Amino acid sequence: MNAPLLKRLWQTFARSRVGRSIFRVGLPESNLERSQAMTSSFLLHIQPAKVHKHSLKAGYSLGLGLISLYLFFILIGTGVLLMFYYVPSTDRAYNEMKDLQFVVSAGLLIRNMHRWAAHLMVLFVMLHLCRVFYTGAYKHPREFNWVMGVGLFLLTLGLSFTGYLLPWDQLAFWAITVGTNIAGYAPIIGPKVKYLLLGGNVVGQEALTRFYALHVIVLPTLALIMVAVHLWRVRKDGGLSRPDESGDVIEQIPLGQLPTNKSYGLMELARGTTPQVGKNPEDEVFSWPHLVFREILLFLLVAAVVLFLAIFWNAPLEEYANPIYPPNPAKAPWYFLGLQELVSYSAFWGGVVIPGLLVTALVLLPYLDRARAGVGRWFARERVVANSIFTICLLAAIVFTIIGTYFRGPSWSWVEPWQQPPAITEGR
Amino acid sequence: MNPSTPNDPNDISRRGFFKLTLGWLAGTFAIIASAAGAVRFLVPNVLFEPSQIFKAGKPEDLADGSVTFLEDERVFLVRQGNTYRCLSAICTHLGCTVNRTEKGYHCPCHGSVFDDQGNVKSGPAPRGLAWFQVTLSKDNRLLVDKSRMVAADKYLVLPTKV
Ligand code: HEM
Ligand code: FES
Repeated sequence: MNAPLLKRLWQTFARSRVGRSIFRVGLPESNLERSQAMTSSFLLHIQPAKVHKHSLKAGYSLGLGLISLYLFFILIGTGVLLMFYYVPSTDRAYNEMKDLQFVVSAGLLIRNMHRWAAHLMVLFVMLHLCRVFYTGAYKHPREFNWVMGVGLFLLTLGLSFTGYLLPWDQLAFWAITVGTNIAGYAPIIGPKVKYLLLGGNVVGQEALTRFYALHVIVLPTLALIMVAVHLWRVRKDGGLSRPDESGDVIEQIPLGQLPTNKSYGLMELARGTTPQVGKNPEDEVFSWPHLVFREILLFLLVAAVVLFLAIFWNAPLEEYANPIYPPNPAKAPWYFLGLQELVSYSAFWGGVVIPGLLVTALVLLPYLDRARAGVGRWFARERVVANSIFTICLLAAIVFTIIGTYFRGPSWSWVEPWQQPPAITEGR
Repeated sequence: MNPSTPNDPNDISRRGFFKLTLGWLAGTFAIIASAAGAVRFLVPNVLFEPSQIFKAGKPEDLADGSVTFLEDERVFLVRQGNTYRCLSAICTHLGCTVNRTEKGYHCPCHGSVFDDQGNVKSGPAPRGLAWFQVTLSKDNRLLVDKSRMVAADKYLVLPTKV
C-alpha cells in the first residue's frame, strides 16, 4: 500500500462536506491547522496546541502518568466486558469466574487482561509518584495536583482491594477478612467503618454486594473525575515541570515593565502563574503531531504488553471461598504484602498508625517542603535531603514487601526462599 | 428592596435580610439532612446472618477432657469433668480461624499462639480468644450465645451423673 495514497484518500474524505462536519479540520498541513486540530477536537482540546520541548523528553516523565492512564482505560474496557457475565452473588460469582475461564470465548483473555492491567496500574502509579518526587515536580504551583495524585493513588489501591473480593475464592475471602479487620483497628470510627463496608459483621453476601457497587461504579467514577481534574491541572499549572521555571518563576509581570523583546497577547498579561510563564515560543513545538503521535504510540505499546502478558500468563483463581479455613499462608497481593508484614507485628501500629502517617506525610509534603530549587531535574543536588528521606522510606517499603513475599511461609513463619519449605504440620 | 436607599446595592432591608437568612438556612439544612440520610441508609437495620445463639448437642456426647471444633460456628467446646465451656476459634488479630495444637491454639495467618485458656503466648494478637456463655436448654442441650462473652473461669457445671 502506498502511504501518500492513503493519506490523500483520507484527506479527500476529511475535507469533504461530511468529513468536515465530523473533524472540522482534515490532516493538518499548516501551523494554523495544527493548532485547530487540537482545539477543535473534543478529545484533543484537553491538551495545549503547543508543548514545551522539555515535556516531550521521554527521559524526563518516562511517560509513567500516561501509562497509568492507559492502563486505567484498558481496565474500564475489560471491566465493562466482564460485567456482562459476572453476577455479584456468593453462590454464583465463583462459577462465573470458572465459566469465564473455560466456557466463554475469549473469557480467559479478557479476565487475564483485566487482572494484569490492574497489577500494572498499581505498579505504574507508584512509579509515577516516585518520578514526580525525584524531579521535585510537586512544588509550587503543582502542590494541589500532587495532593490529587495522592488521592488517585489511594483510589487505585481501593479499586484493587474491592476487585479482589469479586471472584469469591479463598484468596478473595481471606484477603477481605483480614483487610476489613485492619480497618476495624482505626480509633473510634474503625468498627463503624468495618460494619459499613461489610454491611454487617461477616464477609458474606452483603459485603460482596457493597464491594461490587464500589468496584464497578463508585470508585471508577471518582477516579475518572479526579484523573480529568489531574490532567487539566497539569495543563493549567503550566505543563510539565521544567528546570527553567524553578527558583525564580516570574509570578507576576508588573504592567509597564514588560520586556521589549517579545510581543505579548492579552492573555499573557494575566496575573499569577499562567500556562505562559517561563515559556519561550522557540522552545515549543506543535502538539500535533509531536505530542499526539507519541501518545498514540505509547498507548499501542501499553496495550501490546498487557495483551502479551494476558496471553501467556493466567490470572490465578483459588478454591471456592471457605469461611472456616484460611489458606496457609494467607497472602495478600504483592502491593499489600509490605503492609501485611507490618500487620504481623501489630495490627494497630502496622495497619493503622504507620500507613496513616505515611499518607499524611505525602499529602502535606508539598506544603512543608517549599524550597524552590531543583525542580524539573532528576535527583537534583539541591534536593539531596528530601530525596534521601524519600529513598529510605521507599527502600523500607520494598524490603518489607520482599520479606512478606519471599521470606514468609506457613503460619507467617520465617523461611529462606532458597531452602526447602518446611512441611505444614498442622491445620487442615 | 428598601426604596429609601436605591443606590447602594449592598443595602438590605430587614425583610430582605430575614428572607435571605431563611433561604440559606433551609438550603443548608436540606443538604445536611440528605447527606445524613444517605449515610444512615448505608447502615443496615436487619442482618441476614446466622443466629449468634445455637444449640451444641447433648452434654454427654462430649468426652471428658475433650476439645471439639464446631466448624460451622467456628468455636471449640471444652469439657473438663462436669464443666463445659465454649472458646471462640476466631483469632483476635485479624479474624482467621485458629487451629488446635497440643498446648493450646495457633493461628495460621500471622502466627499468634494461644495457651489452652485462650491467653496470648506470642504473636500479634492483642487479646486472648473469647469465651462464650454456655447454658443448658430446656431439652437438655448445650446452648451457646456468641454475643455474650464471659471470663475464662465461668463454667457451666452439670451434675456429674450425666
Ligand atoms: C490514577 C493515577 C494517575 C494518573 C492516571 C496520572 C496521570 C498523570 C499524567 C498523564 C501526567 C502527565 C505527565 C506524566 O505522564 O508523567 C501526570 C502528571 C503529574 N502527576 Fe499524575 N497520575 C496519577 C497519579 C498520581 C500520583 C499518585 C501522584 C503523586 C502523589 C501524581 C502527581 C502528579 C504531578 C505532581 C504531576 C505533574 C508533574 C510535572 O509537572 O512534572 N499523579 N499525571
Ligand atoms: S489473624 Fe491470627 S495472627 Fe493474624
